[in-house]
Amino acid sequence: MDTIITYLNNMFAPLPKTAEMKRIKEDLLANMEDKYEELKQSGKSENEAIGIVISEFGNIDELVKELDIDVASEEAGEDGIELTSLSDEQVDDYLDDSTKTGKLIGFGIVLCIVGSASLVLLSQLAENGLLFGLSQDSGAVIGVVTLFLLVAPAVGLFIYSGMVMEKHKYLGSGFYLPADIRVSLEHKYELDQRSFTTKLIAGVALCILSPAPLILLSIINDSAAVYGVVILLLMVAVAIYLFVSSGTKQDAYRKLLKRSGKKGSGASVDTWDDEEDEKSEPKIIRAISAVLWPFVTILFLITGFFFHMWHINWILFAIAGLFLAMINGVYSAVKEKA
Amino acid sequence: MISSDVIRGYNDTIILYLLLDDDSYGYEISKQIKELSGEKYIIKETTLYSAFNRLMKNGYITSYHKEGTFGKRRTYYKITDAGRNYYKEKCREWELTKEVINQFIKEDL
Repeated sequence: MDTIITYLNNMFAPLPKTAEMKRIKEDLLANMEDKYEELKQSGKSENEAIGIVISEFGNIDELVKELDIDVASEEAGEDGIELTSLSDEQVDDYLDDSTKTGKLIGFGIVLCIVGSASLVLLSQLAENGLLFGLSQDSGAVIGVVTLFLLVAPAVGLFIYSGMVMEKHKYLGSGFYLPADIRVSLEHKYELDQRSFTTKLIAGVALCILSPAPLILLSIINDSAAVYGVVILLLMVAVAIYLFVSSGTKQDAYRKLLKRSGKKGSGASVDTWDDEEDEKSEPKIIRAISAVLWPFVTILFLITGFFFHMWHINWILFAIAGLFLAMINGVYSAVKEKA
Repeated sequence: MISSDVIRGYNDTIILYLLLDDDSYGYEISKQIKELSGEKYIIKETTLYSAFNRLMKNGYITSYHKEGTFGKRRTYYKITDAGRNYYKEKCREWELTKEVINQFIKEDL
């Protein structure tokens, strides 16, 4: 079936992307799809079916002549704006990069949270005398070093992701998604929808369950409660990874398939404005965590070193983690509705 | 198999005939043409859509969208009164054409 879509796409490539053309192309695709399905049901092999469908397509010039199309005048878009008509490769490339950066950003955030968790863990281990007999303060220092060692690669991942996505910026200034690509993309999106939902549910469940170990362990004593916090942070980290990685990919699909923003009677003009881009899930998470984690870390160090509040100030990380998870959850819920 | 050059002038007639009783859509029409002609004439997609476009421009058919059996959105075509008149006219024209051409056809060569 992909061969047929590609074939039709090539046939229409030099033609103007008017609404009329789009409609004819969609109809032709539907017909060819039907023919293909029926041929396959009648026992033809995939290749035979494709061969017959394509041989019965005819000559595109016949259509061009009938429709009185001025092929030369197509270059300028409907409103005089030149629009990039996306190709298969561009769409795939964008989706692949979004998936990849979603995972990298998610992993970066996980590193930040694991850093915080190890800080809490190490200082508590030291306090309990379980860290090679080191004092509580040196435990905290080792923890802080670990935190920075983990945050540094995370920042690298964020920057790298930003650079990868930079080359897809041209999509922001409007694009035209050909009907056949749209159809196959919608199909792919539907297939992925299940995994998005599963990940979202798993993430929300993890967030909800994350305080449970803390509550249970706090029954034992205060230092056990600290290990509860570590577990909480790790659970939140996994949840955030799920949110960010699947959210980014889903976002990419939505941007490509966006139906609004159609202009005039001509081709469907898909744009997404920067304003909306600001609100997109990975960016909001990136922005908040970029500010939140260093801020919390500074606060943690100040309260620790200057006010000797090591016994209680780890809670800052727990609060920050929960805060981030909360924003993420609320954001996903709101976006789901919209 | 009939060459499409010979039949060209009558694609419109064939399509209008298939729309006389019921509205229909692209694939159904091309399938009916294939079946009724005993698979001797298979209309090309581009020929079919050129004809639809021409017939619509002349006001012989109109189109509307409808969800098909499997939820696919299809463009259905409906014949107009002008289309019916044009069809009758084409039938008369064919009778005449047949008569004339037959004068030049030798059965036993």
